[in-house]
Amino acid sequence: MNKLNLTSILFRLLQKDLLIAYRKTSSYLTPLIFFLVVLTFFPLAIGSDSSFLNRIAPGTLWIAALLSSLLAVESLFNEDFNDGTLDQLFISNQPIFLLIIVKVFSHWMITGSPILLASMIGVIFFDLPTSSIFTLLVSLILGTLILSFLSAFGGALSLGKGAILSAIIVLPFSIPVLLLGTAATNAAIQEIEYSSYLFFLGAMLFIVMPFISIATAEALRINSD
Amino acid sequence: MTSFNKVKDWFISMGSPPFLYKWIMKYLPFMISLSLLLVFISLSWGLFFAPTDYKQGDAYRIIYIHVPSAILSQSIFILMAITGGICLIWRAKVAGMLLRSAAPIGASFTLMALISGAIWGKPTWGTWWVWDARLTSTLILFFIYAAIVGIYSSIEDKTKGDRAAALLSLVGVSMIPIIKKSVDWWQTLHQPSTFTLTQAPSMSPEMYLPLLANVLGFYFLFIALLFLRLRTELALREQRKNWFKQNILGD
Repeated sequence: MNKLNLTSILFRLLQKDLLIAYRKTSSYLTPLIFFLVVLTFFPLAIGSDSSFLNRIAPGTLWIAALLSSLLAVESLFNEDFNDGTLDQLFISNQPIFLLIIVKVFSHWMITGSPILLASMIGVIFFDLPTSSIFTLLVSLILGTLILSFLSAFGGALSLGKGAILSAIIVLPFSIPVLLLGTAATNAAIQEIEYSSYLFFLGAMLFIVMPFISIATAEALRINSD
Repeated sequence: MTSFNKVKDWFISMGSPPFLYKWIMKYLPFMISLSLLLVFISLSWGLFFAPTDYKQGDAYRIIYIHVPSAILSQSIFILMAITGGICLIWRAKVAGMLLRSAAPIGASFTLMALISGAIWGKPTWGTWWVWDARLTSTLILFFIYAAIVGIYSSIEDKTKGDRAAALLSLVGVSMIPIIKKSVDWWQTLHQPSTFTLTQAPSMSPEMYLPLLANVLGFYFLFIALLFLRLRTELALREQRKNWFKQNILGD
């Protein structure tokens, strides 16, 4: 067996996860459809007055993104846990938190990035000004990445227990993301300075990424003992 | 150095369930009576003898329940994070049991702080609830407590459940400052805070001293409750061990 260096291991892990997702359409389609369905329900439930929709749009988009990233968490570790891939990762003698960062990133590419596309439909649904699209996208990229890491932690801690427990764990921690994300989008819609929110979100991502992936590794180790 | 070693030895011996059980049983009656006495004295001091507030009248007296529970809700979380660290690093079984016993008490105190705050808010602010930064972050603290209780009660393997709860309380304690900061900042951004929970700093000693006594009393109440729960937890987990059968059940 030829020896692989760390970079190629990480790359192969990413490749494997993306390939599995590519062959299983539901893995990237369900979060997308879920996001759109939740978006549709807000105007139906609260009212479809245009100026009112404009006001609730950021909150709605962010809550929908939060819920669909929570829903998607089950596919992150459960399959790997059931078929033994997770054990292989643990005995691979590689820095486990790096493997987890790669896994979360591939999971984000599968379930988070379709939401970015769907949020463009949200822009049409809620009649948002085109000037706010850039902020919405950047804040969603940063925010859904943070949410992916948080929900990976929740999913690892509640491995094999279902999404509702992991939602209870993750939701309190995702409040800063929700506040910053809606504030950034709101500011962009009202055409006031928004960059500080994006900086905060970016800072949070780089705080959360190493710490939560270490905690996720520990949680997986607890649950797969 | 010798006294330090003595403390260290005592601390390590606390990690042994038989020793801890005996120690708890020795001090439990004392702790319960002391805490009940303290709470009784300081509550009646605050509720009946402290002077009436010139602005809020007698309604302010709920402070003697509200503030101690709010302080405890945060102290207990810090205690849980410390025991969580001990549980994860040294795999101490007793630390996990302590964490498990403290979590529901902490959740109850948080709930008590929220409910007493709502009751206090009605006469003074005219509403049960406002989305004030402090109220919101206390509510979030309650959710995190609930998550910790949720995670350990859903995992059947006790040791695994302990470690999962320990990990969650460690992550929780490091996330709480971020959450608190963001909620503070969210409130100041959207609407100027009309109400603050903080009292005027110039509180008279006749009101302040009973409050301090109450805080102390509630701390002792927490310790007594913790002893009770820890004893039950120890008995539940160690019921099949020899020391328990021989010394406690007398088989």
